[in-house]
Amino acid sequence: MRRTVSARRVLVSTALLVFAALWALPFIGLVVTSLKPYSEVILHGWWSMGGTYSLKNYIEALQSPFYNLMAGFRNSFIVATASTFIPVLLASLLAYSLSYLDFKGKTTLFVSILFMMSVPQQMVVIPLYMLYAKIGLLDKLLGLILLHSAWGVPWITFFMRNYLKMIPSSLVESARVDGASETTILMRILIPVITPAVIAASAIQFTWVWGDFFYAMVFLASPDNWVITQRIALLKGEYHIDWGLLSAGAILALIPPLVIYTAFRKYYVRGFAGWALKG
Amino acid sequence: MRGLEFLVFLLLPLAVLGVWVVYPILATVVLSFTTSSGFSLGSHIAVVTERSPLKALIYPEPGPYPPWGALIHNALWIAIGLPLVVFLGVVLAYLLREAYGSGAVRSVIFLGMVLPGVVSGLTIRFMFDADIGIFPKLFSLLGIQELAKTWTIYPQTALLALILGSVWLWLGFSVTIFSAGLDAIPKSTIEAAIIDGASPVQIFFKVILPQLKPVTLVVTLMTIMWILKIFDIVYVATGGGPGGSSTVLALIMYTYFASALEYHKAAAVATILALLTLIPAGLYIKSVLAGEK
Amino acid sequence: MSQQEKRLTTIALALAVISLLLGGYALVVLQSLSSSVSDLQATVSQLKTSIDQLTARVSKLEGAAAAPPPASPVKLVVIGPWAGKEADYFQAVINAYKKTHPNVEIEYRTMRAEDVAAVMPVQFAAGIAPGDVIFGWAWWIVKMGKEGHIVDVSGLINENDYIPGIVDQVKDGNKIYGVPFTMWLKPGFWYRKSFFQKYGLSEPKSYDEFVSLLEKIKGIPGVKNPIATGDGVGWPMSDVTEHFLIAYGGPQLQLDLISGKVRFTDPRVRDIFANKLVPLISKRYFSEPIEWTTAVTKWWAGEYGIYFMGTWITGMVDDPKDLDFFPLPEARGVVGGADYAFVPKYSRNPDAALDFLKFLATEGQVVHASVPSGKIPTWKKASVEALWPPMQSVYRKIAGKGMSILPDLDDSVGGDWQKLFWDQLKLLWVNPGALDSVLKTLEASQPRP
Repeated sequence: MRRTVSARRVLVSTALLVFAALWALPFIGLVVTSLKPYSEVILHGWWSMGGTYSLKNYIEALQSPFYNLMAGFRNSFIVATASTFIPVLLASLLAYSLSYLDFKGKTTLFVSILFMMSVPQQMVVIPLYMLYAKIGLLDKLLGLILLHSAWGVPWITFFMRNYLKMIPSSLVESARVDGASETTILMRILIPVITPAVIAASAIQFTWVWGDFFYAMVFLASPDNWVITQRIALLKGEYHIDWGLLSAGAILALIPPLVIYTAFRKYYVRGFAGWALKG
Repeated sequence: MRGLEFLVFLLLPLAVLGVWVVYPILATVVLSFTTSSGFSLGSHIAVVTERSPLKALIYPEPGPYPPWGALIHNALWIAIGLPLVVFLGVVLAYLLREAYGSGAVRSVIFLGMVLPGVVSGLTIRFMFDADIGIFPKLFSLLGIQELAKTWTIYPQTALLALILGSVWLWLGFSVTIFSAGLDAIPKSTIEAAIIDGASPVQIFFKVILPQLKPVTLVVTLMTIMWILKIFDIVYVATGGGPGGSSTVLALIMYTYFASALEYHKAAAVATILALLTLIPAGLYIKSVLAGEK
Repeated sequence: MSQQEKRLTTIALALAVISLLLGGYALVVLQSLSSSVSDLQATVSQLKTSIDQLTARVSKLEGAAAAPPPASPVKLVVIGPWAGKEADYFQAVINAYKKTHPNVEIEYRTMRAEDVAAVMPVQFAAGIAPGDVIFGWAWWIVKMGKEGHIVDVSGLINENDYIPGIVDQVKDGNKIYGVPFTMWLKPGFWYRKSFFQKYGLSEPKSYDEFVSLLEKIKGIPGVKNPIATGDGVGWPMSDVTEHFLIAYGGPQLQLDLISGKVRFTDPRVRDIFANKLVPLISKRYFSEPIEWTTAVTKWWAGEYGIYFMGTWITGMVDDPKDLDFFPLPEARGVVGGADYAFVPKYSRNPDAALDFLKFLATEGQVVHASVPSGKIPTWKKASVEALWPPMQSVYRKIAGKGMSILPDLDDSVGGDWQKLFWDQLKLLWVNPGALDSVLKTLEASQPRP
């Protein structure tokens, strides 16, 4: 009985590993293309093991003043870091209010936040574009940061609130009875508990902002201000596209989110799951 | 003192949301219903009846394969992509529970979730390229010449390539949530079934699936919302072509907004998109509120 | 919830309303302030232009030369379509300018014309420009000029110094909004001399010979298709199509299609498609569309026999000496076009920008054509001997046959129709049976004269 079970386990595991290998193939192809001269890839296919491997594409992509990926990285880091910090802070405050403060219209506010979570990005750009044009925030990283920050607040609020619900309210109540101010309660009791939530939300928000293309396309027009995703998508010359360089650029662009994912994997997974499973 | 705390804790975030989320949403709705002459349905009618293949929401002369119009393309995307995401998600999550090396498999599947959309679009182009892509190579080995071509340049297959590519990207989400859902199922119910002599397959269908219903609902609604908003992978992989056969709503909104500067029409497309999103969103909110009680 | 808390809630909500109102008011004030500031800026810049005009008149009276190079260092941002090797060729032009203008720092940024046309209108509308000298499509430059975003350069260059018709592309009435830079040609099908020698092939003298050449190439081992079809965002296919239309409909047809006088559903147009081009697509003489730079590599490696491409291909192959081309035998015209540059009104250093623009239109062209850029000058004062050798032969082959140089069809029409044209041709190439629906779709959106 036992043995058949483990035999089945081995079979299932093998099947899954094969599946994962197939699943990873497109990605592997991208990596190989970035490591070989493009002419070799198109004439012999990336699966041919031979040929010349080098980091030439990476070096060129990073150093070429025309591609200027470094500037793209700089802009992306500025935007993604600021747009992670601000909304996580704001959303924590809001989540706290929803959980521990009493005020009229709490349910309405909660429902509106859920609605804001699901509105498509396309719904806000036009009026903001006009507004930014008037107050001079167009083509500025600050404008993009403010938008991303506001956009992150609803879902992070919901996310944090799910975490806060896990804390027994008696803890907070007894602290209130002891005469602690809301700020003290927040600092002493809640922060330690919701740290994992903050990490998970930050990781997801950072990845999301890093990968955003639509907002950047609408609000950043000068090549100097372009974030990395725009550079990858728009970096083709009039009569010249170098796919080797493009792949290298693409790989470089996905390194930061990949590192964050690997570092905070367990938080991530818990965060996504928290989305679906109510407390 | 409490009043000040209210101000900081509640009103500061709400003010930010008011300026950057609520006001623009309302303004977009207003924009979509106004023309120079006041209130009108003109923009909405214009975008729905547009005939040019690169901008049509519903293509006036549908043939046996796309272009059928962005609305139909989005619907098709849901019809094909959603079942794949849900089905593969459940099955993989179930099998991964007792597999060796499941962490590695999970990581690979989840990779699509962390890729920037632009990189995903490039990867999809790679996947379906006749010379270097996996799918065409696979079909040429199988001897099916019709599918051994570059998928993204044929109207018959461009949309399908994007749909399959999006499943590749989004499966990580589905597997993660289903795994969490499986972990939440009490072991006792499964043990009881084993004692009753049920086979693994029976257990899966009779015991586990019914208990996954709420999770399936969430995955379904989230996936629909995600599909409706898809933009970057289409922009990078096909640009909506060939012959407008892979356009989607978000891309058409951008076309009106950026290349033609037709704000009212862009707002109309955005509003239509938002209304469509409200259906799954409303159901999702209902399920969340039900869980609150 | 205690009484006190309730009271506090009411107070807080009241404060919220007040702060939102205040915020709204502040926004309105800011907006009106910013608009009055921009009004002020406009007035100042108007004053500045009138002063400039006055100074110009005064200096003309005094018989002074062009503006002296700026004494203090200035920085110019130049936005052009070239990346990779092409950008190096353009850098040579910048370096030549820097030799005589050590005070001018020039930063070059890559941005394709279609991206320029997509992202800049919005910026201009907001009164900002990401560059001081920008390359873009001629039709688009004129459109932006008409909307008042571009500096009129009619006093800067002399129209008669240029190949006829070139400056007209950027003219509106007596205003000139851009200057022509070097010109590319789309002269015909390129082949490797060594490939033709090896298999005993020769340039065709008629359409029938062309078809039999394709048939011969088809039989060569290792060849996938006789003609490589390039695909960018659809444009190399549009070039082949135009070449067929010019060859079998005459140069005038091209001009009439641009003006919209001849419709795409016209029987003459349909016949060229149906009898000359589509049969070749149906018989698989053309490959399926391949990303066009990839196609260069494959064609060079012998997977395809001939490749229709512009003169810039000379700078993209390993050995330009092994390269030759033939137009379709009946062609009496080829498409050629210049890159155009302009200075937006929102440039921070308009004087320095205009001086560099003038250089681009004159001496800069000679520099650009002398490096392997695959371009020829539009400025008539440049000598043929100064050209990069492979281009000299192209120049002679086209000029020697007395061919007319015609504007590019989709570049001239531009706008949404251009995208539609590309996209529909992509469709035609993989689905030649769709010819009539393609022509109908193109005609429906084709501009009217």
